[in-house]
Amino acid sequence: MRSVFKVVENRRESEWTHTIFFDKEIESQPGQFMMVWLPRLGEKPFTLSYPNAVTVKKAGEFTEKLAALEPGDEIGLRGPLGQGYPPLKRPALIGGGVGIAELRLLALASEEPSFVLGGRTADEILFYEEFRALGPVHVATEDGALGHKGLVTELLPVEAESYAVCGPERMMAACLPKLPAERTYFAVERYMKCAVGLCGQCTCSGWRVCTDGPIFPASTVAQMDDFGKRRRSKSGRWEAV
Amino acid sequence: MIPLPEIDPPLINASGILSYPEVFAAFESAGACLGGYVTKSVGPREKPGNENPVVVYPPEGAVLNSLALPTQSAEDWERDLEEIRLRKAKLIVSVYGGDAPEFAEVTGRMSRFGDAIEVNLGCPNKEPGEQTIMESIGQNPALSAEVIERVRDETDKPVIAKLSPNSDYLAVADSCLEAGADALGCGNTLGPGLAVDIRSRAAILAGTTGGISGPALKPINLRMTYEAYSRFRCPIVAYGGIETWEDAVEYILAGAGVLGVGTAFMRKSTHEAAALTRDIWEGIQEYLDGEPMSALIGAAHRAAEGGGHA
Repeated sequence: MRSVFKVVENRRESEWTHTIFFDKEIESQPGQFMMVWLPRLGEKPFTLSYPNAVTVKKAGEFTEKLAALEPGDEIGLRGPLGQGYPPLKRPALIGGGVGIAELRLLALASEEPSFVLGGRTADEILFYEEFRALGPVHVATEDGALGHKGLVTELLPVEAESYAVCGPERMMAACLPKLPAERTYFAVERYMKCAVGLCGQCTCSGWRVCTDGPIFPASTVAQMDDFGKRRRSKSGRWEAV
Repeated sequence: MIPLPEIDPPLINASGILSYPEVFAAFESAGACLGGYVTKSVGPREKPGNENPVVVYPPEGAVLNSLALPTQSAEDWERDLEEIRLRKAKLIVSVYGGDAPEFAEVTGRMSRFGDAIEVNLGCPNKEPGEQTIMESIGQNPALSAEVIERVRDETDKPVIAKLSPNSDYLAVADSCLEAGADALGCGNTLGPGLAVDIRSRAAILAGTTGGISGPALKPINLRMTYEAYSRFRCPIVAYGGIETWEDAVEYILAGAGVLGVGTAFMRKSTHEAAALTRDIWEGIQEYLDGEPMSALIGAAHRAAEGGGHA
């Protein structure tokens, strides 16, 4: 169902990223998503970073407006939707860019998590101090401002009992061959319309990301020929990932 | 009339649901009991459709959508349909256009891929500034007939005229069958309807209004099926609120030979949706208890007629 909530805080995480808190906590499984609705503007999928917040990177008109919401403004939410992560034992949580935000609730729900995080620069490594209190954190930044200078994939493989990967698709595709097919989960992203399994818009090689995912086991992702390669645009036309 | 291909089991998805050939292949692999799949309506030119939100589902059993016929170009659809072939299920290509020549153009390109062509005469959704197909064509018997005639010239495959419940559908059906349609689709979504958010005081759908599907549509399209069968005794593909085998049997008794499932797939994974289609088909078979389905198509009419003469 769709509900409208009041924004209670806008927390600036970095130059491009804000966490928008609202006045009600939502019970969800880590990895499930919400359709965030701004009346008269649009509706897009986000995963909760707190039970009562989403973390958003400014990348277009919708995310600019969302990141600029102030206390008292209204935000519409529909969900939680889709399949989240199963309970993970001693997981390595591998995140890239704003995908790191999705790992926060998963980290809090997991025992003995470790972290492998990547971004262009130190500012993109969200929740760094908070994660360090939960377990070991390995960082790669493209400019070398924090941790290893280079890509997050260069830090792999790492020892863990399970793995969860959330980030840009090309990063995730590069992680796929470096991680075990069992006990590894990927957060797949596609353009969504209905978000409830009807319209088929968010297909990734026939799996509807909104209802079969967005969290998929690596064994399934390995069967997705389109993963890391192509996706359907708003009209259905293929575009490169 | 060209007979419809054998769709076995006689269950399909509704156009605009699942939409793409790779999704159909995934359903087929998951063991869905769908004997045919209907593509998203293919249009002549690439079009993104409405902005989100495109779906709203109040709890009362009505689902509103305002996708407004997003489509890639017909050339891109050709590439897609060349890439993926279904193992066993039949493929029905749904087509639309702004006028009869556009419907004909799309049909000409798509005919070789489809085991049947479904002509979308009843979509009640539009992008801002457009007119709906329902308004511009589907409510007008003469214009609908012109579309069917032009489509007929472009294909040797069976042609299904999918009607709007929001029209004088018997008059439209009569013209379409006269113009060469082989079957009727009963029918499209209803309305359109409206949902308003009382806190933001805004229409929820970006397209403002949206076609109504789900349980709320069932009695309407069931009546359309019943009346169309009563008048024309032609093959009917029925859609509207089919969620259980009992819903499907109602439509069969009213006159449908093929049943379309759509909104019932809401929030279901591929495996859950496939299981739903198996439940529906098993329920229908148990109800038939060995009788061929053909014996029950339209049986509600015989009961009514028999009752009348008793």
